[in-house]
Amino acid sequence: MMMLQADSLHIKRANRAALNGINFHVNSGEIYALLGGNGAGKSTTLLSFLGFLKPSQGQVRVKGIEVKSNIAAARKVMTYLPESASLYDHMNAYENLKYFLQLAKRHVTESDIQHALNRVSLNQDSWKIKLRDYSKGMRQKVAIALSILRDTDILLLDEPTSGLDPAAIDEFHALIRDLANNGKAILMVTHDVYGACQVAERIGLLRDGQLVGEFSSHSDAPIDPQIVHSAFLRNK
Amino acid sequence: MKEIVYIAVGELRYWLRSHLALGGSLVFLMLISITSILTTGHINAENNARVQQQKNAEDTFLTQPDRHPHRMVHYGHYVFRSPPPLATFDPGLDAITGQSIFLEGHRQNTAMFAESGASADLGGLSWLSPALVYQIFAPLIIILLGHGAIAREREAALLTPILSLGVSGYSLVLGKALALLIFIIIIMIPLMVTCTIAVFKGADPIAAGLLFCVYLLYLIVWGIMTLCVSSILHKRSTVLAVLSSCWFIFNLALPSLAVNFVTYTTPLSGKIETDLTLLADLHKVGDGHNINDPAFGQLREQLLKKYNAQSLADLPVNFRGIVAIEGERKLTNVLNSYAARRMAGETQQSQQLANYGWLTPTLAITFISRSIAGTDLANYHRFQKEAEALRFSFVQKLNHAHAEQLSYSDDIQRNKDEASGLKARINASNWKSLGSYHFKKSILSDRVKSAFYSFNILLTWFFEMCIMLFLCARGINS
Ligand SMILES: Nc1ncnc2c1ncn2[C@@H]1O[C@H](COP(=O)(O)OP(=O)(O)OP(=O)(O)O)[C@@H](O)[C@H]1O
Ligand SMILES: [Mg+2]
Repeated sequence: MMMLQADSLHIKRANRAALNGINFHVNSGEIYALLGGNGAGKSTTLLSFLGFLKPSQGQVRVKGIEVKSNIAAARKVMTYLPESASLYDHMNAYENLKYFLQLAKRHVTESDIQHALNRVSLNQDSWKIKLRDYSKGMRQKVAIALSILRDTDILLLDEPTSGLDPAAIDEFHALIRDLANNGKAILMVTHDVYGACQVAERIGLLRDGQLVGEFSSHSDAPIDPQIVHSAFLRNK
Repeated sequence: MKEIVYIAVGELRYWLRSHLALGGSLVFLMLISITSILTTGHINAENNARVQQQKNAEDTFLTQPDRHPHRMVHYGHYVFRSPPPLATFDPGLDAITGQSIFLEGHRQNTAMFAESGASADLGGLSWLSPALVYQIFAPLIIILLGHGAIAREREAALLTPILSLGVSGYSLVLGKALALLIFIIIIMIPLMVTCTIAVFKGADPIAAGLLFCVYLLYLIVWGIMTLCVSSILHKRSTVLAVLSSCWFIFNLALPSLAVNFVTYTTPLSGKIETDLTLLADLHKVGDGHNINDPAFGQLREQLLKKYNAQSLADLPVNFRGIVAIEGERKLTNVLNSYAARRMAGETQQSQQLANYGWLTPTLAITFISRSIAGTDLANYHRFQKEAEALRFSFVQKLNHAHAEQLSYSDDIQRNKDEASGLKARINASNWKSLGSYHFKKSILSDRVKSAFYSFNILLTWFFEMCIMLFLCARGINS
């Protein structure tokens, strides 16, 4: 089932075209990775699905609903992990998760939270420490835990592995693989070509607001990072 | 709706963990507690002192021996104005206008300060009352706490993630507003305590309740203003700069400028020039001490004709007393017309100043607060009028005694020798006609009526701010 859909999507930011007519979709049970250089329009794509940026042409659809016509309904079924793990510095991991989940009207138990924190392998000693004393990777883990706990059908992840150590990246890949296998649709922005090739079914390559290439894996043969890498570097 | 409460709780938790918010609130609560305690103590002591001084003045007057009635007219008497119970919260004009008036024949004296407590050597600084702390400093603490409410989230890139949870901009703003409202109610506890004590000391509970409500409204206006700016601008530092400027303009610059404008556009006539024309007018009335003053010639003829008498000595009444009565009546009419003109001028100035409430809510609350507390200009005028009524009544009672109880022949002989002087006296029991005086607080409906205009202004501020907040919240939505 098509969970996310961009149809000739044009977005203007600061009077300049940030997205220039892109077309793609993400199915349920699928991980779609968006690759591209800085300023290519990856974050812009995610924000337009969330309804924060309105298309100047074309449209975005979430579960078949046009986002513009019902932003609230669209946001309800999506989890957004922002670029800079945005959480509250004056609260600890526990409090952050509780607060965000309350606002998302999602009821979870203490053990749900503990389970999620364990799944992102955040050291148990730091659960009750305020986030202002966290490292970048630790914050990122809390943000990922929040995305799991939201338990929505669609996940929009903006550079989720930034700041994570190699072991944590592997764990994260296993985690989203698991989520996708359970039917979630995952749209992930990343700069990690090799990681993307490992975990994603499909990869879209963005350049200057245009989708310049799409790569798919075939039954048990993952995407070849070499090909993606050279495509990335071409015309740069 | 639940999310609004969650957001409010989250904001309160942030403040509890912020040293700036805690420190600021603590300083404010200390300031308001100290001023409340000092002002309540001061006003209560003042009240007791006035009651005592009034009693002493009355005792002194009553214990005077038999005298010539006109000597008592000039002996005079003091009246004191005791502060209304809610002056413990807002002394208003009471603090800067005189509390006692010396009553005597032929003159309307201005009110004087009964004590030298607020002397010039205090550098001209005025008494910091709880009302002033709420009017001036409470907005500052609201700004200090509230300026980051939304700008902080935006600055920390938290706004998008929060909204992506499905929280609307309205909920976000309302949650922050709820937190600010709770904070405002907390800092209003000292006001509640002060007003409750005042109620036990005789203040109307309704007036105390109204004071609470209008200050709540005033601080809410500031709270909303803070939220609006916080939700429009992108950086906390700019929000703080803009709000501090608003505070300076609304609380300090505009009220002072308004006073300048009103004094310039609606000037009162100068004291010296009025005194000169008053003197000329009084001259026309005639001198009540001089029975030969042509001003009383007609009166003399009328009386002689009425009693069919040949000379003043044949009259059944003492013509000197009659002249004193007539002289005082005419003179008081002139004095009253001048006083009425002066009060009308002052009232007009005060109304002009109240108009500037449309430009700054601080002026609006100042007027409402004084009116409800009973410490406004109208109340001061009431004291002057009551004092004048008392003066006129006691002077005329003495003049009547002069006319009826002292014979004309005894009266004109009074300076001949000691025995004649003793004969030209009336019984000291006459002094009792003075009666006792107590300046009562004005009736509530009058106070509410005079607060009404400025209250409408404040209410308009409130609704305008609500609309602004609605528009700001709508801007956050996307
Ligand atoms: N807040 C903003 N306001 C205006 N224009 C913006 C804003 N953020 C990004 N842009 C513009 O939008 C375009 C796409 O930016 P976007 O953030 O989507 O890039 P990106 O692919 O996510 O890059 P990065 O890898 O650096 O995160 C850029 O040209 C950028 O200048
Ligand atoms: Mg980006």
